[in-house]
Amino acid sequence: MATDTVVSTVPVPGPTRPRGRGGVPARAPRRRTLTAYLFLAPFLVLFLTFVVTPAVFGLWISLTDWSPFRDIQHFIGLQNYIDLFTPGSTTSGDFWRSMAATGIFTLASVPFLVVVPLLIAVLLNNRIRAATAFRTIFFAPYVLGVAVVGLIWGYILDTQSGILNHVLSLVGLPGEIPWLVDVPWVWVSLVGVTVWWTMGLNTVIFLAGLKGINADLYEAAALDGAGAVRSFFSVTLPGLRPVMLFITTTTVLASANMFGQSYLLTAGGPGNATRTAIMYIADQGLSQNNMAPASAMSYLLFAFLAIISIVNFRVQRERAESVTT
Amino acid sequence: MKKAVSRGLALGLALAVGVGMAGCAGSGSKGGDAVSGGGSYDGPKVEINFWNGWTGGAAPVLVPKMIDKFNAEHKNIVVKDVPQEWGDIAAKMPLAIKAGKGPDVAVLHGDDLATYAAQNLLLKADDIVKNLGYAADDFPPGVFDKGNYKDAQYAVPWSVTPLGLYVNKDVMAKGGVSDIPTDQASYLAALDKLKAAGVPGEWVDGYVFTGTFEFESLVWQFGGDLYNKDVTEATFNSDAGVKALTWMTDLVKKGYSPANVAQDGNIKALLAGKTAFNWNGVWQTTNSAFQGLNWTAAPVPQIGSQKAVWSSSTHWVFPANKGQDKNKTQAAAVFVKWMNDNSADWASTGELPAANTVRNDPSLVQKYPDLESFIGELDYAHYETVSPGINEANALITTALNEALTGKKSPKQALDDAKAKADQILKQNQSKYGD
Repeated sequence: MATDTVVSTVPVPGPTRPRGRGGVPARAPRRRTLTAYLFLAPFLVLFLTFVVTPAVFGLWISLTDWSPFRDIQHFIGLQNYIDLFTPGSTTSGDFWRSMAATGIFTLASVPFLVVVPLLIAVLLNNRIRAATAFRTIFFAPYVLGVAVVGLIWGYILDTQSGILNHVLSLVGLPGEIPWLVDVPWVWVSLVGVTVWWTMGLNTVIFLAGLKGINADLYEAAALDGAGAVRSFFSVTLPGLRPVMLFITTTTVLASANMFGQSYLLTAGGPGNATRTAIMYIADQGLSQNNMAPASAMSYLLFAFLAIISIVNFRVQRERAESVTT
Repeated sequence: MKKAVSRGLALGLALAVGVGMAGCAGSGSKGGDAVSGGGSYDGPKVEINFWNGWTGGAAPVLVPKMIDKFNAEHKNIVVKDVPQEWGDIAAKMPLAIKAGKGPDVAVLHGDDLATYAAQNLLLKADDIVKNLGYAADDFPPGVFDKGNYKDAQYAVPWSVTPLGLYVNKDVMAKGGVSDIPTDQASYLAALDKLKAAGVPGEWVDGYVFTGTFEFESLVWQFGGDLYNKDVTEATFNSDAGVKALTWMTDLVKKGYSPANVAQDGNIKALLAGKTAFNWNGVWQTTNSAFQGLNWTAAPVPQIGSQKAVWSSSTHWVFPANKGQDKNKTQAAAVFVKWMNDNSADWASTGELPAANTVRNDPSLVQKYPDLESFIGELDYAHYETVSPGINEANALITTALNEALTGKKSPKQALDDAKAKADQILKQNQSKYGD
């Protein structure tokens, strides 16, 4: 979606559109289509090998009692899925607790991951001095690996010897806050670290979207007497709709797939309160060799995310359409 | 249109995968065959692959040197060193062995041995061990048996890594404590003095490194055990277990430890001069952060009714590759014996060589004086439980510890809940790995 906005400023080759739509299959477009497929082929091969094949294989595994060490795998139908919905089975309690943890993290992080980058992007979009430098600064954390992020914040957020608590106690605030050890602080830390780490990406995408909004609109709004706030809500936000749809969708998916932060910073603690679904699935599938239940869990998570994405699309698209008509 | 295509693709792939699996099903490897080895190898020249997880510390320099020396001394054996992350070994080795592409010899952690053995991924090494002249009393008590699964020996010990008491002597002196505590009374006295001086003496954490190791040491000290003898039931919620965990939560409650210590918070505090004692593994002796610190290591104090301490171990194994060349396994056995005989410098990696002759040689302690107290602990060290898939149950111990230390549950409640779940896991493991 965002790419659409960005690309739309580039003039689209004129003749293809009307002719293609009209259904007159001229020779040139067909050759062009062939060329396009040729260029897409390498990616398609990678996509098939590393995304589609494992996904289908995973679906099969989830229907068996798969063990990587046994020679013969038995087809057991939906048993792995039924177990997940049977209270008291080895997987169900832990799995739904991890889903709840994922849900909490997603609900808590997505608003910040959308609003904060949006505000920063709007600020950076004003012709301020050293805008490029600021853009780089905001984007910089995004290039770090999660291991580095975990290490840095582990030092900052340590209960007793962390920098943050030290600073807090210097200014007279409680300096014994268990940022990485106890609820609700662990959630504050995980959301905060994630916002710091990944907001740069959303900021840059929002910036690209902002550049795509026609400056005339702001001028017209100003002539009509709109202030900064009014033109933000009446020009900027509607202009960003497609970008917003893209960002909310990818951000929800990214947050729902959170793994590294809680793995490194809280080890899933306290107890298993911050063990996310991906963390539990990875542990079950890769560490404990329970690949079949783990695959079933992945597919349930996938189903959840698919539904959320579709709802998100529907809601935002309808709103966008009602605005344009 | 797009949907139809992807559906078609999915179906095709599903079929392809199904066919591939059916193909696999026919050709299983027959692991677990008995193979004889010997103290020497005079067969044709062979190249053997050696997988290990030694990617950090002193090992990446030391091991290639040892192997070069071995290769120079043995004209008909070429050992190829294949170091990789432990995680990669866990992910790749089982499948590699099944496919006949695994190593001829490898080093594994003690708590993984049974998991591998149960799946016929390892050769029974009874004859190799016999021919090499090894017996249980060539190693610290209890280690050799960790390579035993269902009455067969699968492994030769290589190293042991017990927990010890790390002491920041400057902090201890600040509290007016002159002698390193050795039992419950002297430990509590020291903690009291430190507390009076405003120093929490031991920081208790609820994570694997090293709260879990401390808890397990205490369970054994109070006369309990983690599991019953045939590992069908968790017993870490016994009286001993509850005493052990209560001891740890009490340290926090009585102000000897701060609450909510984060992961590695305690070793950091020891290094920063904020605490006097830390129960940690022998591997910390190579931590360069100790340079310039006035520190020492001692045996862990005896808090319970008997002496006991947690230790981990690593072992040599001979993988049962599909179509394993017996000559290669025999050459690998020669390599194992040679490595153990020449393992004195393994101490430089922060692990204790398992071979008694090497470890008890006075020159070792002379060269590595920090290791002396750890070596002394081996008479009463306990090693990890031998049972396939045991790590999944062990993880619940850490959860219980964490819940109790963050005040989510009482020690008894946390351990009872973990036991209930662990029993389920053990049962599941029996069907997962059973015959």
